[in-house]
Amino acid sequence: MHQTRKTHLILGVVVVAFAVFLMGVWIPLDTTTGVVETVRRQTVIGDSLAPMVAGVFLLIGGALVLLFERGSPDQPQVDMINLKFVGLVAATLAFGFLIMRYAGPLTVWATNMLSGGALEYRLLRDTAPWKYIGFFLGGVFAITGVISLTEGRLSARALGIGVAAILVMIALYDLPFDDLLLPPNGDV
Amino acid sequence: MTPLDYVWAGVLAVFQGPELFSLLGLPIPVTVVMILCGFLLGIAVGATPGLAGPIAMAISLPILISIFGFTPDALLPVMGFLIGIMKGATIGGAVPAILFNTPGTPDAYMTTLDGYPMTKKGQAKKALKVAHFASVTGDTFSDIVLILCAPFLAILVEAYLDLPEKTALLILSLSFIAAAVGGSPAKGLISTGLGLLAAYVGTGQDFYPRLSGGTDVLAQGFPLAAAILGVLIVGAVFHELALFWREKEGTRRAGPDEASSADQRLRVSDIRRLMPYISRSALVGTAIGALPGIGSTLAATLGYALGKRRHDRRKAEGDPGFGHGAPEGVAATEAANSSVSGANLIPVLSLGIPGNTAAVFLILAAESIGGFNPGPSVFNFTVDVVNPEAVIAFGLFTCMILANLMNWTIGGLFMRAMGVMTRVPKQILLPVVLILTLTAIYVQETNMAAVWFTLAFGLLGYGMRVLAISPLPFVIAFILGPKIEDSARQAFAATGGDAFFLLTSPVAALFMALSVLVITLSTRRKKGAT
Amino acid sequence: MTSVFKTALAALALAATATASLAQDWAPPGPIQLMIAFRAGGGADTQARLIAEELQNRHGWEVIPENVTGRGGLNMANELRGAANDGTVIGIAVTETLGYNLAAAPDAAMSPADFTGLTTTAGFQMGIVARTDRGWGSFEEMIAAAQGGETIRFGAMSPRLADLAYLLSNAQGVDFNIVEVQGGRAVMDGVNAGDLDVGFMAGIQRAGVAAGDLVNLASGLDVPLVQSPDAPVLPDLGVPFHAGGEFVFLAPAGLDPAAREAIAMAIAEIVQDEGNPAGEMISRAFGGSTVILGDDLTAHLQAQYDQAGELLAAASE
Repeated sequence: MHQTRKTHLILGVVVVAFAVFLMGVWIPLDTTTGVVETVRRQTVIGDSLAPMVAGVFLLIGGALVLLFERGSPDQPQVDMINLKFVGLVAATLAFGFLIMRYAGPLTVWATNMLSGGALEYRLLRDTAPWKYIGFFLGGVFAITGVISLTEGRLSARALGIGVAAILVMIALYDLPFDDLLLPPNGDV
Repeated sequence: MTPLDYVWAGVLAVFQGPELFSLLGLPIPVTVVMILCGFLLGIAVGATPGLAGPIAMAISLPILISIFGFTPDALLPVMGFLIGIMKGATIGGAVPAILFNTPGTPDAYMTTLDGYPMTKKGQAKKALKVAHFASVTGDTFSDIVLILCAPFLAILVEAYLDLPEKTALLILSLSFIAAAVGGSPAKGLISTGLGLLAAYVGTGQDFYPRLSGGTDVLAQGFPLAAAILGVLIVGAVFHELALFWREKEGTRRAGPDEASSADQRLRVSDIRRLMPYISRSALVGTAIGALPGIGSTLAATLGYALGKRRHDRRKAEGDPGFGHGAPEGVAATEAANSSVSGANLIPVLSLGIPGNTAAVFLILAAESIGGFNPGPSVFNFTVDVVNPEAVIAFGLFTCMILANLMNWTIGGLFMRAMGVMTRVPKQILLPVVLILTLTAIYVQETNMAAVWFTLAFGLLGYGMRVLAISPLPFVIAFILGPKIEDSARQAFAATGGDAFFLLTSPVAALFMALSVLVITLSTRRKKGAT
Repeated sequence: MTSVFKTALAALALAATATASLAQDWAPPGPIQLMIAFRAGGGADTQARLIAEELQNRHGWEVIPENVTGRGGLNMANELRGAANDGTVIGIAVTETLGYNLAAAPDAAMSPADFTGLTTTAGFQMGIVARTDRGWGSFEEMIAAAQGGETIRFGAMSPRLADLAYLLSNAQGVDFNIVEVQGGRAVMDGVNAGDLDVGFMAGIQRAGVAAGDLVNLASGLDVPLVQSPDAPVLPDLGVPFHAGGEFVFLAPAGLDPAAREAIAMAIAEIVQDEGNPAGEMISRAFGGSTVILGDDLTAHLQAQYDQAGELLAAASE
């Protein structure tokens, strides 16, 4: 092999640093009982012990990577272009979920502005067509977006597939069941 | 009730359960229909590159739960469906491996080595038949071992292990998984540590939800479905999408060269010739499957290697060697990777320790529905009061046997019809599957936070794949983490606060010593190998 | 319990005449979200889901159940407190959640005044239970064994019960190794597997006791158990508290009285009628319904909260 990659070096350092932060800062500050506690004159295990064990696993794992695998020839290559692509896919999904969450309430708000009514989305969340607005728009955006990203172009076919897939999902989850709620209607 | 009564009650629970409809006056029990549906779906997703059993299980679980509800009656139909998927996907995975040189599931990779050459020689149908026969034989053998072993192991554990020993046993399994899965023990430890940490956020015994930073979002911890499906499925989809995007249809698949001039029949003489390979591989696969965490990929590799050694010595002049289209190669691989699936359920049902993704999904189903907690107490054969969990356990065994029967009778036929599935384009399938999975999680959790968590865990899972860290220890640690903590807490309190409670009993001390040994040895081996 | 129940009914009858028309006219303005503070699949969860189904059948209200578990019901309480108080969000927990658990978690910054009690459904036949083949026929025999030097592992499924076990050991002059486990089912599994010697069981022991596999050594209440009336009660054993409690339906504070009345009555009618699946299940699993409503329930919840303070103080000495 030519030049050794630094993937393992970086991985080891990051994991060890995180483990130290976890055990030194996060656990002590964000847990109310220690590793062991005395309750009712009895010594019992506190809430800090288990996360500490997780920290020890990370510390040993990170240290082993640094000690034994730092120079290993079979290190994975981290491809920045790939990471960017996955980042874009995740961002598309995230934006789709935001649409899913807020499209319904926004439509209700707009309707109220136009008609002067006092509708509330929360009370309409199990009433068609309100309940489908967010899921439909957000879902179609997410599917079409990810297909387009992968294919490298926007196409009518991608949009068609998005619409068809979301309609099938509505038919699958919503139509047959009274007590199932599509996103975001369970917790608005 | 005697143990035999429990076995019979389990069988009846499957056949006398709620009936779906009656056919010619014969009531058709819903569980049987569910196993069949799961089985057919499993073959289809197994045959589709980019999909696999776990994805099908993830998407169907919330739908199934809403059909059957949160009652103990729901357990057998839902889990029967999952078992059907598990069995179907195992044989389905061989289809694209043989026809197109692309494994449908990761464990089918070794099947391509001889299966595709057979296709090129015009023996595609025969290769599929060999794969199916070997797979079903291995699977059936493995199930028999499971059914015979799990109850006895559970009774042994319950009779001889006290709280400290149970804690030590859980620690041993986790160390073993960390050390054995994913090639590098260091990365296994990292994956395990992350899984434990995720499991401990927001939980704990105190009224302050630990590690939540005081936020309400983290106070309830991460939902099981979000963590498992995020890391396992969303992460895998991200990875596949990135790979596909990089290759950009560079490799257009050619159709199989179906020159069916060759003899496509699987004859008795063939079976006689293949049986030694199948039985060896079945033994290897079952033994490996019984250990938690080691997947079917290793079993397939070992089975293939063993078969190759034997074949090199014994093959007749003129027969193809391994790698050049030997039916023995297909048989050795498929028998090995299929015989993992049954034995893999031994640690789940007897100890509550999931060994592979299918077991993880059975636990997810059991946790979501409730009323069945896989673990040694399941096989508590109470005499006066019926222990419903034991009935469910034997019902599950019945489901597995039924699924095997379906596999023997109609499995081969459906498998050979699934060639078309391999033509579904990935870049369309994967985004749809992604949204379907996330919708399924939302429907089950009814919480937008769960969807965001899943997305975050998906990115984590993708990162782990990029860094060649296996996500399986993460998932298993996430499931076992709370169990280990509870069990350690109880053992510590029960022994009156003995700081050395894990070392005072010989059995517990042995388990602890083995845990250390497993990790040190695997580190050594890795170091020696590089 | 029965006396409380009767006064409750009387109070209800009075209140009913005043608000009957209002309550009868009430209908939820949208689907009702039911937050269940218990894990899916257990008896408590099944009860809640059956009641939800029956509400839908009888009144056409759309009830959507959701499990919000963790921290002894405090996670559910926290979510419920901030929810809309128009009758579209209700929850089910145990009285212990608003009693001991709120009192023990000052960080949570909640009090019973943040909630409107709707109705209780069933009480706990809390017993101190061991396996029959452990060899103790009575509570005194267990104490004698402890005094003889045997280690006794005492299972408790909540901090409150652990406190009570501790007070019990103090009053009896022995030491228990108190083991806190998650959920009532885990106590029974532990006792059955021999991992625990004895533990608090809230009614789950019924079938086992009836079959003779388990024995109620003592009542965890201040009244005798229905199933084992001869077992001593906690105050007789030197503990001036009791481990009793009920399942309780709650809504956020400030719920409209008409809505409170309508929902509470609807649930109370279901749990008291054994002719529907929910009522049948409650009678089978919990030995019958216990209904406390209206102002009595408000007072009952407040009393549990106040008493929890005394218990916490006593157990931390």
